[in-house]
Amino acid sequence: MTWGVIALLAIGVWSQRLAGMFAGGALLDRVPLFARLASLIPAAVVGAVIIQLTIADGRSLTLDARSVGVAVAGVLVWRRAPVIVVVTAAAVVTALIRL
Amino acid sequence: MAGLSKRPDLGVLLGIGLTFFTLGVTVNVLVLERTGSELRTVVAALVVNAATTELAYLAVRDAGGGLLAGLVAGWVVATRFGLLAAGLGARLEVGRWHRAAAGLQSFDPNVGVAVQESEPRAVISVFWWVTLAMHLGWVSGTLIGVFLGNVIGDAERLGLDAVFPALLLAVIASLLRRRDGLTAALLGGAICAVLIPVLPAGVPIILSLVGAVAALSIPEPSP
Repeated sequence: MTWGVIALLAIGVWSQRLAGMFAGGALLDRVPLFARLASLIPAAVVGAVIIQLTIADGRSLTLDARSVGVAVAGVLVWRRAPVIVVVTAAAVVTALIRL
Repeated sequence: MAGLSKRPDLGVLLGIGLTFFTLGVTVNVLVLERTGSELRTVVAALVVNAATTELAYLAVRDAGGGLLAGLVAGWVVATRFGLLAAGLGARLEVGRWHRAAAGLQSFDPNVGVAVQESEPRAVISVFWWVTLAMHLGWVSGTLIGVFLGNVIGDAERLGLDAVFPALLLAVIASLLRRRDGLTAALLGGAICAVLIPVLPAGVPIILSLVGAVAALSIPEPSP
């Protein structure tokens, strides 16, 4: 992450937060669809990022130790485990399989 | 100034602070490993002020995606912060600068807890208390993460590559508990998996946006 990237990411986040604060209410009242899209887009994109980090190896798909670790994390998130438990379990399971 | 007259339960503040401490440590071990600079890792944590955005950018770059694809991924996952700021904004009765400051600090826990208050003065007071707890956790966690990142050797042997997606699951947990949110995440993941072998790195992640549009057909959860 270079200084330029940090600045550009910050501009993207700051502008959306300020737009939401100052213009969001009126816009969301007029176009309720925006609110749903704005909450579903992160779910879809983060879902894709998780898949990329879990089963992709370059441009091929693979199941390995890390996929199992993430699956365990998924179960723990679903069971409402604290973040520290989720990330520790993912790391420990993955490391143990790699032994 | 509305003041900090109304304070949430200490237990609530402690729980949120600890969660953000854990996020701060783990996220910034990963960021430092990829950035290679303690200063830039800490500045990004404080200035970008959105772990999901940092992680989405790094994930695309890790996969071999281009700069623009990484930036777009980081920007689009931040739409939910705009939505949170809008939700908070509707409940505030404060001046313009105070509004701007609160907007820039909008996260799930502080907005979620604050908007449960009925009085506008209590909303802003509770909001800043939770924000304070979050930041104490996030900043101390960031500093410890940067320190740990330097002493941890082979991140892959320790299973830290699985921590990255596991963290993202934890961050969007509240979205995954909604039927439409879960559908969007599953569709986004499926679109990405199908496209990874055929498109340049990073592009499948951007195109997963289509999953969100498709998930609009799922009935909205009742509040």
